[in-house]
Amino acid sequence: MLTVTGLHKSFGGKPALLDVSFSVERGEIHGLLGHNGAGKSTTLGIILGMVAPDRGDATIGGISVQRDHAGALRQVGAIFESPAFYEYLSGWENLRILASYSGPFDEKAAREIVDRVGLTKRIGSKVRTYSHGMRQRLALAQALLPEPKVLLLDEPTDGLDPEGIKWFRDFILGLRAERGMTVLFNSHLLGEVEQMCDRVTILREGRLVHEGTLKDLREEAPVYEVDLDPWEQAAAFLDLNAAQILSPGRIALPPDADPAITVAALVGNGIRVSAFAPVRRSLEDLYLEITAAR
Amino acid sequence: MNFLRQLRGELRKLFGRPRSFMGYGVFVVMEALILTVYKFGRGQEYMRDLIERNGYSFATYFSSLSITFMIMTLSMFLLGSVFFALVAGDIVAKETEDGNLRLVMARPVSRLRLLLIKYTSIVIYTFTFVFFVGITGYLMAIAAMGVDGGLFVMEPKMKVFAVFPSWAEGAGRLTIGAVGIAISMITLSSLAFMFSCFKIKPAAATIITLALLFVDMILQNFPFFRPYEEWFVTWRMSCWLFLMENQISWPKIFESYAFLFGLNATLFLIGFTSFRLRDFKT
Repeated sequence: MLTVTGLHKSFGGKPALLDVSFSVERGEIHGLLGHNGAGKSTTLGIILGMVAPDRGDATIGGISVQRDHAGALRQVGAIFESPAFYEYLSGWENLRILASYSGPFDEKAAREIVDRVGLTKRIGSKVRTYSHGMRQRLALAQALLPEPKVLLLDEPTDGLDPEGIKWFRDFILGLRAERGMTVLFNSHLLGEVEQMCDRVTILREGRLVHEGTLKDLREEAPVYEVDLDPWEQAAAFLDLNAAQILSPGRIALPPDADPAITVAALVGNGIRVSAFAPVRRSLEDLYLEITAAR
Repeated sequence: MNFLRQLRGELRKLFGRPRSFMGYGVFVVMEALILTVYKFGRGQEYMRDLIERNGYSFATYFSSLSITFMIMTLSMFLLGSVFFALVAGDIVAKETEDGNLRLVMARPVSRLRLLLIKYTSIVIYTFTFVFFVGITGYLMAIAAMGVDGGLFVMEPKMKVFAVFPSWAEGAGRLTIGAVGIAISMITLSSLAFMFSCFKIKPAAATIITLALLFVDMILQNFPFFRPYEEWFVTWRMSCWLFLMENQISWPKIFESYAFLFGLNATLFLIGFTSFRLRDFKT
């Protein structure tokens, strides 16, 4: 549904993206992760046609953003961190103005969406009186007008309280369940990404360092907590067998290694194995490992 | 239809901003001051001297129409230009600075369409502003001096002199003149619009526009530049005064407006080129 291919971009000679390619399948919620300056916003900018790539292309539903900007964006709704509305106008007027750039304003559909995001009572108030949470709800409403196939979310939950974050997460998951909507989700809140996303793309200094499911990521270098005696002899053996010693009692095996065979080999070498248990790492652990290691 | 719908939204934004109305308020105050000067002050003596020295009747030509003409001539270029530069200088740059443009640009609308909508809206603003000044000035003049009387036109710099004894003819000519002023002022709005499309602060777009306008006006008045005055933009913008002549010299007017239209198109294209090449990072 959404593909970026070989994106290169530099600003003032400083590379921001270096050959970034990934794709998001229809109905998938895809996380775009990376540290500040990793190239996430530039990637989103290229997908939305706001930034021109030096090389490469982004397609939405098979339509190139660079060649048919309007055709590609007709399928997209977008939300940005701290969305800037016309403060002196009401929420309803903002919706009407923004939706007019996508086609005729469907008042009935707009009312339904406003109701769904819980802004019915305040939609006639000026945006300057809205809280941050209400602005994000309004941002969501405008992104859903008219009905898009792809949602691009750029740090949408930043600054929201825990209730707001949960509401937002449930809303997006509900949209996917109902409409099979495709979502590209850029966030620093790794817990959120972990709870929402089917797959993730991780960028580091403009390069793609991982694309796949969280399961893939965990299996890329499975980590085990072990209790081996004697430890020095065990560590030497594991080192010879391409395992990585993360700390005493914590090891990472190569992705293709079978832990049962490793345990048998350790025992066969006279090492007592009291514990050998896989560690379920959070996305945060994985992200930090990946971005620090590569 | 889409264009009109989008234009309506743009106008709603433009006229929804308190800043867009600042100029309207200032002009009403200024019109009241000018009227007071002409009605009660030495301005009346000056007008009597001017009209009678040219052999016309003060009673006929010291009228609401003549005062409205004075208001528009005196105020529009000096004070009106400030507000046109302010509004047109804001139209793209302020939305870029505030981040509103990102939400718009995430929509299926081309950058050319976006700028055309914004440019059309400032053209409409320019017209409404000029007519607001003309109409309110005239209504206030009527309140102070009554409806009757002809129109006395004298502008030494552009060498324009005309009298319209009948109210109907004078009012008609003043309306045509107001259209002419609005068309001339579009050039100023276009200049500010072009700067607004650049990667600069809205205030910078306004200040640069006004600086260029005033430099053009000052240089034009240097004796050395007198032979070349027709090459100055502000001279061309003053060509609306030729519409006030008893016998309108259309070739002079068409020449100046062709110059201004060409300039406006060039300014739009430069602004668009700059805007099209810009990256808007999210």
